[in-house]
Order: sequence, then structure tokens, then C-alpha cells
Amino acid sequence: MAAAAPSPAPAPAMSPKVAVSPKAVDRKVVPVVAAAADEVSNEVHVLAVDDSSVDRAVIAKILRSSKYRVTTVESATRALELLCLGLVPNVNMIITDYWMPGMTGYELLKRVKESSKLREIPVVIMSSENVPNRISRCLAEGAEDFLLKPVRPSDVSRLCSRIRW
Amino acid sequence: MVFMQGFLDEQFNQLEELQDESSPNFVEEVVDLFFKDSSRLLTNIEQAIDKYPQDFYRLDSLVHQFKGSGSSIGALRVKNECSVFKAHCNDRSLEGCRRSFQKIKREHATLKQKLESYFQLLRQVGPREYAVCSRK
Repeated sequence: MAAAAPSPAPAPAMSPKVAVSPKAVDRKVVPVVAAAADEVSNEVHVLAVDDSSVDRAVIAKILRSSKYRVTTVESATRALELLCLGLVPNVNMIITDYWMPGMTGYELLKRVKESSKLREIPVVIMSSENVPNRISRCLAEGAEDFLLKPVRPSDVSRLCSRIRW
Repeated sequence: MVFMQGFLDEQFNQLEELQDESSPNFVEEVVDLFFKDSSRLLTNIEQAIDKYPQDFYRLDSLVHQFKGSGSSIGALRVKNECSVFKAHCNDRSLEGCRRSFQKIKREHATLKQKLESYFQLLRQVGPREYAVCSRK
């Protein structure tokens, strides 16, 4: 299965094989000697948050096809936990579903933007509902973009080409 | 994919295009995830419909999830029937919800059957033929 289960965060960047998906032969090989906990990886690392296992699988595959490293989690609470505890190193982007039980993607967005440590990370919201109010609220709160589900590879590549990694 | 016409939309093609050597069974795996999820959701919806007093908010929320993952695999007819169901929730029409739910179950079962046949066919004809089959 290419997509990740909501596994706990990979170990801090000590190993190139920290990938969540062990079968992903498209991973680029990074020499082990380069590993250091705070070293910036060349690989773009995306944290994908969605309570739907189907949607996690799809978004992870889309991102991995673009050679991004992906960590998936099934809740905003878990995402915040990993981020605040520094268990997901060097996250370059967060992509999250809007509506999730417990904490919503919108709330996650707010928390990220309120945090001095996390606020620079671009946050993208995904939603199956095209609600203009919702979209403008997210953008006003600092979301990088708002994608309508089902998300397509072209949506993601268009979005990623705009972001300054 | 003539026999799938009307049951699946463009999103399914998008998934097929994502499938590659690094994940050669991607589509089937995602479809499996959907049916695992959907069985659970259908049970929960059924329980929620039979519960009294009805909680239309919860019903709507469950169908919303169902619709969402259906839409992610391109399950067109399932998705459309979910929209009908949601409209009945909105109108607080229990009878409408019941009728619609029966349709959802039927569409879901039909889709499952068709996809099982489809993947079986793909396994039989092999990868070269798959490229031909997957062209609309």
C-alpha cells in the first residue's frame, strides 16, 4: 500500500529510509552521512491530515508522485502534537481536510498561524464543499490555498509550483 | 471500460493515471480502503436511521463522509444518491432518507460487484492489455 497509515512520526532525520511507505521505490537515496537532526533536507516534506483513509491514500500518492516526502495523520490533534513536539522534522507544507471530527482543519490552520514556531509553514485546506464563506475565512486566516475535493494531481502541481520552498 | 460507464467518473481515471511501478496496485488498494470504510459507514447509517428520535445532523454527517470517500474514487452514482439523501436530511424527511438509503445500498453493492469483476479482468489480461482497457 503506497499510502501511509497514520503512523507515528518517523525518527528525526537520521535515516534516509525514514519514509512512511517502505515500498516506495521512487524515493531518492540520500547518503546516510548527510543525516543530522537539524539539517535541511533537499526533499520537500508534506504533512497530510485527513480523517478519511481513502483521501489520505490519494493525497499521499499524488504528493509522492511529485517526489515529495509525505507523512500522513488522521487528525488535526495528532498533527499538532507531532508538530509541536518536533516529531516531524522540516515540514514544508501542511495539507489538511477542512471538516474532521474533533479539531477541524480550520482550527488547525489557526493554531499553526498563531504559533511562532509553525506560522511560516504554508497550510492548504481541502474540502468537498464549495462554500465561498468558508474559503474566504480560510484564506483570511492565512491559508495558502483552498482545494476542492476530489483533489487532482493538477491541483497539487499548480499549487506547489507557486510555493517558495 | 465500457461496462463501468455511468458508474465511475473522471476521478477513477485520475487514480489509474497515478498508478505506477512503485505502487502497481494503487487503484485496487484505494478501492479496498473505500469498501472497508463504506461497510462501516453503511452500518452506522442504518443504525442512525432506525434510532428514535432521529438525529438528522448525525445522519447527514455520516452520509457526508460516505459521499466524500465515494467521490474520491469516482463512484458517481453512489455520490449522486448521497446528495439526494443529504437533501432529505435537510428536509428532515425520514421516509425520504429511508428510500434514498435503500438506493445507496443498491448502488454500493452494484459498484462493488462491477469493480471486483473489473480487477479480476485486469489480472487476467495482464499489464499490456490494461493500458488498452484503461483508455476511455
